[in-house]
Amino acid sequence: MKKLTLIITCIFTLLSSVAWAGEIKVSGEMWNRWTMENGTTQADTLNSELRQNFFSLERGYLGLEAVFTDNIKGRFTVDMFSTDALKDGAGLKLKHAYLDFNHLIPVPDMKLTAGLQKVYFGSIYDWDYTLIGKAPTDEYKLANSADYGVTLNGYLPQGWGEYALGLYNGEGYKNWGANLKNNTELSFLGNLRLTPIPGLTVGGSIMTNSSERETLINTGADNAAYNTRFLADGLLRYAYGPISVSGEYMSSSVEYPNVAGGAKDYTATGLMIMPVLSLRNWVGTDLQLTGRYDRWDETDNSSNPNLSNTITAGLNYNFLHNESAVPAMQIQLNYSSRSYVADESGSAYANGLKDYDQLMLQLKWRFSNTIK
Amino acid sequence: MKRFTIILLSLILAASTIPALAQRARITCSGSTTVLPVAQATAEAFMNEHPNVNISVRGGGSGVGVAALQNGTVDIANSSRLMKSSEISQCRARGINPTRYAIANDGIAIVLHASNPVRNLTVAQIRSIYTGQITNWNAVGGPSLPIIVISRDVASGTFEVFNEKALRGARVVSSAQMLASNNAVVSTVADTPGAIGYAGLGYVTGGVHAISVNGIMVNEDNVKNGSYPLSRKLYMYTNGRASGMVDRYISFIQSARGQALVREAGFITLN
Repeated sequence: MKKLTLIITCIFTLLSSVAWAGEIKVSGEMWNRWTMENGTTQADTLNSELRQNFFSLERGYLGLEAVFTDNIKGRFTVDMFSTDALKDGAGLKLKHAYLDFNHLIPVPDMKLTAGLQKVYFGSIYDWDYTLIGKAPTDEYKLANSADYGVTLNGYLPQGWGEYALGLYNGEGYKNWGANLKNNTELSFLGNLRLTPIPGLTVGGSIMTNSSERETLINTGADNAAYNTRFLADGLLRYAYGPISVSGEYMSSSVEYPNVAGGAKDYTATGLMIMPVLSLRNWVGTDLQLTGRYDRWDETDNSSNPNLSNTITAGLNYNFLHNESAVPAMQIQLNYSSRSYVADESGSAYANGLKDYDQLMLQLKWRFSNTIK
Repeated sequence: MKRFTIILLSLILAASTIPALAQRARITCSGSTTVLPVAQATAEAFMNEHPNVNISVRGGGSGVGVAALQNGTVDIANSSRLMKSSEISQCRARGINPTRYAIANDGIAIVLHASNPVRNLTVAQIRSIYTGQITNWNAVGGPSLPIIVISRDVASGTFEVFNEKALRGARVVSSAQMLASNNAVVSTVADTPGAIGYAGLGYVTGGVHAISVNGIMVNEDNVKNGSYPLSRKLYMYTNGRASGMVDRYISFIQSARGQALVREAGFITLN
């Protein structure tokens, strides 16, 4: 029933957009992936075994962008996937459904965006998947890539950078209505990125968030599960010719005000460094060598203490470029190795899973066409 | 043995250097279809003077050229509008420092079919026509004839400048024909008695006539002094200050000889 409602919503949005919009662009992106993972398990922490080996349509995005006037634009994206454990083998979620209003507020290059939209935190909102893995704030569940809310976002003059201020539900695009568990507190976000010289980007973002309700709605008693979060993220990126290096530091301070003595409070921190080297000028083909190092420290979390180091190496082959040199297809090969520091981690950390080596091969293809 | 090694190394070095010396310097530029005839004419003349240089010129629209510069695949992005803050920001974040060079002046001419007696429209009337509020020429002093609205596609810099200066962000009527080039606009208007279109001045031909806007004719003086309401400059963008042959090519366009070619192409010179 839920899926039917979503499909009807999609069709209704498509038809109404076609009727009213001056311009409509249809775009899509599909990620076909093979994953093989070898690792230890909670039952046997000494010997590795094959844990995963499967093909999947990891993600499929279908998007519709409707330009109503020069000042009002809408975006609608459906996220399809075959990897979640659903009996019918496929899932469907709304990822974006928002309207952009330019010049509503008389500040140059600022727009107001309302609806289900990007979360402008850390690198998650412009993460372009140069490696197959997720943005670090997504990987370690600090922030969601999309959420319901209202934002003011825009660009500073002369290419000096960009900014965003936002109010969100705070629990991501997969949670809404009853799933919010009576959480009535909205999430606040601030994000600033500066590009003082070409190639150098320095940025930071903060977000306050909470989950559940402070007092139980039925009894009025304190809710022990209620928690507040303060998220902070710093970003440094340098691009020069064929080389770029990104660094991101993130922290999450979680407090449970209704738990005596702050017994469940904790702070988690993470660091990511990612170099990318384009080989295009040397080999004449659009090849990229990529690497990534992640360190995630959640040892302070009494319910799931863990400390991990992850190293990833990747090779991208981009082809079928359009006239702006944007590739329509990409083959990505990634090898990742994650190891947990056993002395610092609890026995059931990482949902019972332990160290792993993972090989992924992915074919991505995308299209974009203006149909009206 | 030592001498033999030196000779061998010298031969290898010479063999690898000679083809490099013989290789022609290559300049790639893409973007605005309005700038295209200026870029083509000047590239041809520049290559005649510099046989060791090969200049490749492509269209696609201003947005396409800017995106290609951002992706590092062209030396020059041709644009009939200024770059947006978002585009500059995205370029700078990738280590590209877009640097602007004006190469010509242009007026966006409002063109009507040769038989249409209307000789002037105000900006407000143009906006009303393009947004569908005025649908017949008799509302602006013309014959009783339905207005056929011809526009450029939204990817073009010409559309963006027209949208900013004439429409001020209003939506083009859905019945408008959105065409991909200045030539297509002019030839469609020339073939359609009730049509109105707009195009770079260099594209205005005999089958159409360019009208005045707010009582100001689109001509060299009015474009240069900015009194014509739909005046603009045409640009070339490079990554940082142009150097080497790219610098010499742009300097050539800005020189008296290059500006003569700008005039021949139907556009208005810088000075």
